[in-house]
Amino acid sequence: MKKKTFGDIALDVFIYLLLLLVAASTLLPFLNVFSKAVSAEWAVVSGKVGLYPIGFQLDTMKFVITSNPFIRSFLVSVGVTVAGTALSMLLTAVTAYPLSKRQLPGIGMIMLLFIFTMLFNGGIIPNYLLMKQLGLINNLWVLVVPSLISVFNLLVIKSYYESLPDSLEESAKMDGACHFTVLFRIILPLSGPVLATIALFYAVSYWNDFFNSMLYISKPSLKPLQLYLRDIVMDADSVSAGMSRSVEDRMNVSPEGVRAATVIASTIPILLVYPYLQKYFIKGVLIGSVKG
Amino acid sequence: MNEIAADRKKTGRTANIAAGKGRRRRLFYGNLELYLLLVPGILFLLLFKYTPLYGVVIAFQDFNIFDGISGSSWVGFEQFRKLVDSDEFLQVFRNTLLISLYKIVLLFPIPIVLALFLNEVSKMWFKRTIQTIVYLPHFLSWVIIAGLFVNILSPSAGLVNEIITALGGKPISFLIDNHWFRSVVVFTAGWKEVGWNAIIFIAAIAGIEQDQYEAAAIDGAGRIKQMIYVTLPGIAPTIVLMFVLRIGSLLDAGTEQILTMYNPVVYETGDVIGTYVYRIGLGKMDYSFSTAVGLFNSVVGFLLVIGGNFLSKKLVKRSIW
Repeated sequence: MKKKTFGDIALDVFIYLLLLLVAASTLLPFLNVFSKAVSAEWAVVSGKVGLYPIGFQLDTMKFVITSNPFIRSFLVSVGVTVAGTALSMLLTAVTAYPLSKRQLPGIGMIMLLFIFTMLFNGGIIPNYLLMKQLGLINNLWVLVVPSLISVFNLLVIKSYYESLPDSLEESAKMDGACHFTVLFRIILPLSGPVLATIALFYAVSYWNDFFNSMLYISKPSLKPLQLYLRDIVMDADSVSAGMSRSVEDRMNVSPEGVRAATVIASTIPILLVYPYLQKYFIKGVLIGSVKG
Repeated sequence: MNEIAADRKKTGRTANIAAGKGRRRRLFYGNLELYLLLVPGILFLLLFKYTPLYGVVIAFQDFNIFDGISGSSWVGFEQFRKLVDSDEFLQVFRNTLLISLYKIVLLFPIPIVLALFLNEVSKMWFKRTIQTIVYLPHFLSWVIIAGLFVNILSPSAGLVNEIITALGGKPISFLIDNHWFRSVVVFTAGWKEVGWNAIIFIAAIAGIEQDQYEAAAIDGAGRIKQMIYVTLPGIAPTIVLMFVLRIGSLLDAGTEQILTMYNPVVYETGDVIGTYVYRIGLGKMDYSFSTAVGLFNSVVGFLLVIGGNFLSKKLVKRSIW
């Protein structure tokens, strides 16, 4: 091993410090808001809370996650995410299969039809009018059905199918298997990792979506978590409205604290699955870019 | 002689085409099942993607929801004339370009530098820890990010203003101050995505052949010189491609982001095309005008992507699709 020069050491110190600074500035907002969520009311209101809790308490967190609107919107989000991911995966994985057979007549044109929608879309109003006509306004299916296929995800799965050796299919066909059997018994089981990646892509986009729910959902009982959180973040009134419970409940609870606790409570589900997300998302990004 | 040869060629070609047709037909009928698998996907595409595309025609109407598309009167390019003449739209267009350009100039280079620096870290545990931390905000929704920053930037008890007042300054209402709003938008966008955007460059760096570094080292290049003369040129095609892609979304200044952060006080500096379409369309119910603005946005965006793809093919021989 070559001896490190002074310049090398200086460069290392500089780089390590800079990266530490970047990481610290990423964590800082979380630390501050988390501390607010679990600090005593007086400390939050007086602005004393920095990077650690003052007068630690869990009343605010308890208040937030046991409040009915929170639980309801959490369940709405879980339902939309589970149903949406399952249906999206089924439709995308099936549609990608014939599209991976480029030698078939007409497939190239159909592929172009899909790709074109990536580049050009109708915009907010035509979409809104369509949903209205279909009777999907204030109907939870509006958060699932119009987003069933993401063309990007479709392309990723399609190019994975294309990379599988043809011989597998041919030998199955020799044994008299039809296309359905080939897809469900051979292709899909072989595509495990890429399907897991895409399933996570879908799940995160269903979970994080607030734009569609903002457009199409106005009934409070149907609001998913992100939309509920937005109401709380944007509008101090809705925080106080949510707080009009018994006085006993409100001990130790301030609007600032409630806001912080709601943000933290909404972040926790993503944090719980973050190790998987990180691993599979990086894979997905790389598959997506190699294809290009 | 020549004529006969030409004739033979011709009949040969028609025979080929006929054979090709037969082959295509056989391929089609032999794989009907496969086409059947496409039906749900195509129905989805027609209903949820192409029907709204047809709905764009209301940009050329004075659309009235009770009369529908067939009953509303056609006004040609009237909505677009209104758009060009509107001071409000000009302001929105300016905001969009400004925020987008700030984001590109200030934020595009950071992931590249981050990737270069991460590549210099020899302690794997350190590298991995930093990556795990800086990737995290990418997975959180804009609503959560807005929630975090509304808390931190709050003029009453937010961390940033506590620091400002402790240093003897006056508290700043960042989110309702037109002097600050754009900076907040650009900063939070960077905070959320800079780490994640480094991934593609990290992968590109990993693809550079090791003997290039060895050769450079033999020539006496230190680590900084290697970074500048080996690593950077090695990932240049990726940088160009990502830059072209970025330009393609120039008109999206961050609609979702701004929708979670802004309020009427900062429309002057923060209202961008995406938020304006939403505000005019669903807020004021001016369907036709809003669709016209949206269509303008889509057409320019489309041209930017096509142009970008052309450029990227010319410059680095890589196509976006």
